[in-house]
Amino acid sequence: MGLKAYLNDIVEAVVTTAKGMRITARYGVDPKEEVTLQYPEERWEIPDRYRGFLHNDIKKCTSCTMCVKVCPVDCISLEAVRGADKKMVLAFYDINIGRCMYCGLCVEVCPVKSLTHTSGYEMASTDRGELILHFIHEDAAEVKARVARQVAEAAAKAAEAAKAAEGTKAAEPPGPATPKPAGAQAAAKAPEVPSLGTEPTPAPEKKE
Amino acid sequence: MEALAKSLVNAVPLLAGVPLWAVTLLLMVVVAVVILVFALTFEGVGSLVLRKVAGDIQARIGPNRVGPNGILQFLADGVKLVLKEDIIPANADRLLFQLAPYFVFVGSFAAFVVVPFGVGLIAADLNIGIYYVMAVTSLVVVGVLLAGWSSNNKWALLGGMRAAAQIVSYEIPVGMALIPAVLIAGSLSLQDIVRSQGGLLGVFGWNLFHNPFTFFSFFLYFTAAQAETNQTPFDLPEAESELVSGYNVEYSGIRFGFFFLAEFGDMFIVAALATACFLGGWNVPFFNADTLPWIWGNLLSLGVFLTKAFAMVLIMMWVRWTLPRLRVDQLMRMSWKYLVPLTFVNLLGVSLWLLLFKGKGIPGMIASLFG
Repeated sequence: MGLKAYLNDIVEAVVTTAKGMRITARYGVDPKEEVTLQYPEERWEIPDRYRGFLHNDIKKCTSCTMCVKVCPVDCISLEAVRGADKKMVLAFYDINIGRCMYCGLCVEVCPVKSLTHTSGYEMASTDRGELILHFIHEDAAEVKARVARQVAEAAAKAAEAAKAAEGTKAAEPPGPATPKPAGAQAAAKAPEVPSLGTEPTPAPEKKE
Repeated sequence: MEALAKSLVNAVPLLAGVPLWAVTLLLMVVVAVVILVFALTFEGVGSLVLRKVAGDIQARIGPNRVGPNGILQFLADGVKLVLKEDIIPANADRLLFQLAPYFVFVGSFAAFVVVPFGVGLIAADLNIGIYYVMAVTSLVVVGVLLAGWSSNNKWALLGGMRAAAQIVSYEIPVGMALIPAVLIAGSLSLQDIVRSQGGLLGVFGWNLFHNPFTFFSFFLYFTAAQAETNQTPFDLPEAESELVSGYNVEYSGIRFGFFFLAEFGDMFIVAALATACFLGGWNVPFFNADTLPWIWGNLLSLGVFLTKAFAMVLIMMWVRWTLPRLRVDQLMRMSWKYLVPLTFVNLLGVSLWLLLFKGKGIPGMIASLFG
């Protein structure tokens, strides 16, 4: 290394240090350069299509289980029973938000748009159980019992109506004949047929 | 200190019955406590300022939760360090492990003894002041090496070895860069060095402007001293990204606190030495602080000294958050190939200058032109 290169090294070291220090001084003096967001007090603006926590509008939900099937991490579980009006009634609909990876597939696949992303992102908990979102606040067993009762009532009504109809017009077998067994069977089958959820609980259908 | 004790005994008749050595001892303890309190306060506030400066420079805010605008953060840190469990690793060399932080802290704190805070504010005006500082701060190497060795941890050992190599290498340029100030004052005592920069020239009486060689000497000293005290561009012994935390990786609680305090103490010592040797020390510009009444002279000179020293500390922090860490070979090359030869050239230049111009600096010569 010649003397020239040696001196060049020194000059370069001094010049680059001065340059760097000028830059840091500019940042140090200018308060506008601060990028810190004082999080709990200040918040960033959430984008329109932000994928936050999931929310299921259960009034719209048809229990089609599309979301359960599409979920790559199996964080959604639901169970539904067939109600008196032939519509599925959710016994429970849980989303384990601690397991959710916010891919948004379930929202995309939802045919009635009942499942949506909210803008929520804050949920700290000391218990993993608290991270499971329950969208049916009633107990699953209670819901099933209630639905079964309604179904049984409807079946009884249908049977009465059928009997009355038989009394008036004897020649009409296919019309009321089908609802009669269907109604009776529905009460018995209710839990198994739509056992779309993961845990088929022992059915409380023995009440009729 | 004994002279002070004598004057105290003369001034206060109540003390006449007390033996002189007792009064002297008491005075020594009092002075030590005062300096310790100053050092600890500086180290605490310094850590807060360091973090605030870091925040500003890195476009962040820095600590702002404890107390208004975060100004009590250092108390929280201190309480945390004191309350944390003092863990000694099972396979560590217990005695050396426990001893190491004290070496480091003592090495750093003992240097405060000769820091000339003001006209009369110096714990002991040793006639070998600079030599003493150089010698006593070398104790830090022993502590760091002990810490690295006794931790029984590869990171710690590597950090300790690096620290030893680095501090030993950089002590040479540090000493050589300080010698010009000694040559000009003709004394190793820091008070004499500060006094030699006084006079009517004001700022231009400083050694910094004495001649071109002392001007460079200041920057060489500042660079080398940062490396000697493991400040950030040269903080290889504790390089977080490679050695986790270096020699103090196994330490926790108050023992870690000692290392931490020593680091900030070293920072102040470097700033104080740079101030005393090159920036006029406590000299008030255009004013002789010696002639003022004792209390005002001391207060004024103390203020001037601390302003300069703290400004130097701020510059050290500024450098710290600007430059990236050097590699080991770069560090060694910088010391042996650049700083050592340059400081020798500077030393030669200053000596020749003093010989040729009979000890006069450039500002002094210009001043003598105008009478």
